[in-house]
Amino acid sequence: MWKSILLLLCITYVHGAEKVNKQIINKNVERSIDLTSQLVKISSVITIENAGKESVQNYLIVVESPVNGNLSIITVKDALKEDVKFKPAEIEGRKDLTAYNVILKQPLDSGRATVITVETIFTKSLVPHPTSILQKEKQLVRYFGNAYLYSPYNTKKQTTNVALSSRSIENYTKLKPSSQSDSTITYGPFQDIQSYSNEEIVVHYENNAPFLTVSRLERNIEISHWGNIAIEENIEIHHTGAKLKGPFSRYDYQRDSGSAHSIKSYRTILPAAAHSIYYRDSNGNISTSNVKTRNEWTELELKPRFPLFGGWQSSYTLGYSVPSYQYLYKNKLGEYVLNMRLIDHVFDDMHVEELETSIVLPVGVSNIRVKTPYETKRLDDGVTYKYLDSIGRTIIKLRKNNLVEQHIQDFEIKYEWKFTLLFHEPLLLTLAMFVLFVFAIIYVRLDFSLKKTEHQKKE
Amino acid sequence: MHNTSKKNEKIVTHVHHENVGKQETLLTLSILTLAAILSFATRLFSVLRFESVIHEFDPYFNYRTTKYLAEQGFYSFHNWFDDRAWYPLGRIIGGTIYPGLMVTSAAFYHLAWLLNITIDIRNVCVFLAPLFSSFTTIITYMLTKEVKNEGAGLVAAAMVAIVPGYISRSVAGSYDNEGIAIFCMLFTYYTWIKAVKTGTIFWGTMSALAYFYMVSSWGGYVFLINLIPLHVLTLMATGRFSHRIYVAYSTLYCVGTILSMQISFVGFQPVQSSEHILALGVFGLCQIVAFVDYIRSKLSRDDFETLYSFLVYTVGILVVFAGGILTLSGKISPWTGRFYSLLDPSYAKNHIPIIASVSEHQPTSWSSFYFDLQILVFLFPAGLYFCFKNLTDSNIFIILYGVTSIYFAGVMVRLMLVLAPIMCILSGIAVSHLLSKFMKNVESSKPSEQKKNKKHESQMLRKEVSFTFVAIVTFLLISYSFHCTWVTSEAYSSPSIVLSARSHDGGRIIFDDFREAYYWLKMNTPEDARIMSWWDYGYQITAMANRTILVDNNTWNNTHISRVGQAMASSEEKAYEIMKELDVDYVLVIFGGLTGYSSDDINKFLWMVRIGGSTDRGAHIKEWDYYSPSGEFRVDKDGSPTLLNCLMYKMCYYRFGQVYTEGGKPPGYDRVRGAEIGNKDFELDVLEEAYTTEHWLVRIYKV
Repeated sequence: MWKSILLLLCITYVHGAEKVNKQIINKNVERSIDLTSQLVKISSVITIENAGKESVQNYLIVVESPVNGNLSIITVKDALKEDVKFKPAEIEGRKDLTAYNVILKQPLDSGRATVITVETIFTKSLVPHPTSILQKEKQLVRYFGNAYLYSPYNTKKQTTNVALSSRSIENYTKLKPSSQSDSTITYGPFQDIQSYSNEEIVVHYENNAPFLTVSRLERNIEISHWGNIAIEENIEIHHTGAKLKGPFSRYDYQRDSGSAHSIKSYRTILPAAAHSIYYRDSNGNISTSNVKTRNEWTELELKPRFPLFGGWQSSYTLGYSVPSYQYLYKNKLGEYVLNMRLIDHVFDDMHVEELETSIVLPVGVSNIRVKTPYETKRLDDGVTYKYLDSIGRTIIKLRKNNLVEQHIQDFEIKYEWKFTLLFHEPLLLTLAMFVLFVFAIIYVRLDFSLKKTEHQKKE
Repeated sequence: MHNTSKKNEKIVTHVHHENVGKQETLLTLSILTLAAILSFATRLFSVLRFESVIHEFDPYFNYRTTKYLAEQGFYSFHNWFDDRAWYPLGRIIGGTIYPGLMVTSAAFYHLAWLLNITIDIRNVCVFLAPLFSSFTTIITYMLTKEVKNEGAGLVAAAMVAIVPGYISRSVAGSYDNEGIAIFCMLFTYYTWIKAVKTGTIFWGTMSALAYFYMVSSWGGYVFLINLIPLHVLTLMATGRFSHRIYVAYSTLYCVGTILSMQISFVGFQPVQSSEHILALGVFGLCQIVAFVDYIRSKLSRDDFETLYSFLVYTVGILVVFAGGILTLSGKISPWTGRFYSLLDPSYAKNHIPIIASVSEHQPTSWSSFYFDLQILVFLFPAGLYFCFKNLTDSNIFIILYGVTSIYFAGVMVRLMLVLAPIMCILSGIAVSHLLSKFMKNVESSKPSEQKKNKKHESQMLRKEVSFTFVAIVTFLLISYSFHCTWVTSEAYSSPSIVLSARSHDGGRIIFDDFREAYYWLKMNTPEDARIMSWWDYGYQITAMANRTILVDNNTWNNTHISRVGQAMASSEEKAYEIMKELDVDYVLVIFGGLTGYSSDDINKFLWMVRIGGSTDRGAHIKEWDYYSPSGEFRVDKDGSPTLLNCLMYKMCYYRFGQVYTEGGKPPGYDRVRGAEIGNKDFELDVLEEAYTTEHWLVRIYKV
């Protein structure tokens, strides 16, 4: 069944291979490449012009093949900063490319122009060079990119700004025209760029932003209709910057000479209502953390057991509870609706390689429907037995790879559930106690001995 | 009319009588329950102050094996060959431990899960010892009740609930054999007393089963299997031997021995080792005495005496002869070192450094008796006196238990644990006896008419004396409970894996360096990395860092430990050879010089030297070389050059010479030894600092 649907989908995709409409030209492109963190965030403001005679509604965005594997998220917005719909597409004759077909809100008439903003975030695109450094050395990384917007359309005019995290730049590709001021490199303006143009630029610079990757995040959400939602995250983190070469000296570290590339602590933002927070690992509680409560959120300053240097890793468990009324409600049809984040904040500019979210629903739910904000892989449902459960609970498991902060969005689960099931366990417990006492009463009153004891003889 | 009223009266008294009985049961039950709850609650200090965490060293091994048992099942646990320990030798876990503790926790764990109580195995382990303390409280009550009466039982139970000598080894997180073994021991005693009193095979078998549980959980069962035969022997000597005792002991010995041999760590020891010879001998003697009694009842007096002397001589010669042959041929194993040190406290110190190096094997100081037992020390002789005054078969047992255990507790600190329950039982007997005697006088406000006239004045005085006495005892008991709580809270409730100190402004500083280092090892070293450290930290490393270690707290191979000691005591080049030979990847040392943590490796270093020098290969390491010319062990400039250049010194003090530790002191001031270190600027040639924890407590080097 599933396979055939998948096959069908494939077929539609093949049939849906798009032709590039040569009437469209990029009148002006302003690109800014943000390299201040461990992520590469490219935002392109594109002025699209319809040079043809017919009005058009589709615009194609492509991502070139070597880097498209690292693409984490892509968003398209119009001039009013509102989201524009787009869907994956395939371009005729260029199947190696990842392409998206943007459906403009209003058809672009002949001779008219409109502005869209395309934001893409790439992970693992900054390569440490040298790959391993001493404790006191700086962390240098290289960025390989394209000076032009990679587009199936011809571009009239474009500029590219590269924002770096520091002024200390080892070197960068000097195209004409290009300039550097402070920590920004500007390429362009360039005129009349052909479609699919690629002019490689390399920027080699110092980047001491935390290169921290969450290699695996297991997020467990457990719902109780008694009014609590327990969330537990098992997190494996890994410093993916330049590897530490040679010794780690605590003395130098405490004197704080160099070692800016190490990660001492980071902030995690939890919901404002979070309480009963715990931060532990397989060896027990990690005593180095601070909780600050803000109005809108709870801020958690987490310090791993040891500072993380390049190549070092660690793992921990973070758990907390939130009241369920903020996330769970009953809709008009009598169904319960759960709206929660599929992934939550771990640290700023985070990169999560693998996410598995498990939602443990209450005992006895039926008719479950799951809606995710973006495409995820839904694994087979599991069953678990929690405290005093005699009937199992359904677990919904969702998986997704390569996530960033922009993926922090809500999923929605609807299910049906009977209120009376709430009393299932207390009743069970009461019954068990009752039976126990009845047995005790009967046992005490019965006499199992063969001969009468002296006490009874007296009477 | 008259008749009915009499009948009514009778019924009323009957009801009243029944009510008193019920009230008494209720009172007994509630006191006992309260004592049991108290004994659980008083052990939770460390959990409340820190967290639910396993303490110290050995418990980590027990925890690790329990986890394995709970996850993998009994058979793979039984056949478990642990390649993480004793590299390259490995260790057969199933055959070298007492599995009682692990099996008990795993059973609790599985039972809880069967009822869908989703408890973590770690929490089962942490709370097992307090739980068993509650059981111990109940069993103490039952045992004392058998020996004396219910009142004494309740006092003893209340006392054992909070006695520090027992708490020291059974706080939450102290997941060690002793935690359940004391319960098993008292349970065995209880069933044994029952068996002696009733003389039934049922109770004999019950005590054999209890004994089996005891054997499976603690090596201290040897005390038990010597005490019971001693009891039988004493009963024989005092002419109290009877069929009841014959049945009880024969059943216990036969069934118990066969059962105990099922524990693979015990194996054939019950019939081979000299530690069990008393039990075997007494068993034989029982048969002979019973047989002689039988013959005596059948023969005339003269015939019997001839036969008797003949038999005594032949059997005596045969036993000595056979014993001699077996000892010479090695069938009967010689006494182990730990046992020698029981009999002769100075034995270990002179002969086996590895036993002497353990602090809990040291002889007990007088102050620690008072610290651990408080008023029990004074009540104990009183209890003994009351037992002597009213000798019965079971009282003799209690006397024997008290006298032998007080000797053993004097020899070894850790055996205070065995002494604590009997102290409570005897004190309970004493307190209950005295109180019930004097309370009568306090209460008797309606003395009979005749006496009133005669001894009116002395009666008054007696009442006051009694009242004073009761008040004093009450005061003592109250001070006992305060003392116990104070000791528990101050001395026995720190997990030792997390250290805490007070900062200048009164806030609490937590030193979590051990877990920091172990977690670093777990996360950032290769899966098969081999880590060399002194044996104290072996169990913790395997349990928390999951890495291979060379030596651990199960000190079965002296030469291997000695080799590690040699590496630590040698110069860097020589140590490198030893480390290459042992295939070491990382070396871990504990260093307290920055924080003032006194039980660090430099303070243990002399033991490493002694143990290192105790084998042939380490003969070149002489303790004297590590002392300064004036015969002191010092780390400053006056220290011996051998010490200042050995591996341990270099690893502890690498780059420490630049650190300012205390205001007004030069850099490199060691806060434990109170001295500026003698060798400051040196580089390591073959080692590389891999990690040092936040407070420099643990330092890890890469070879």
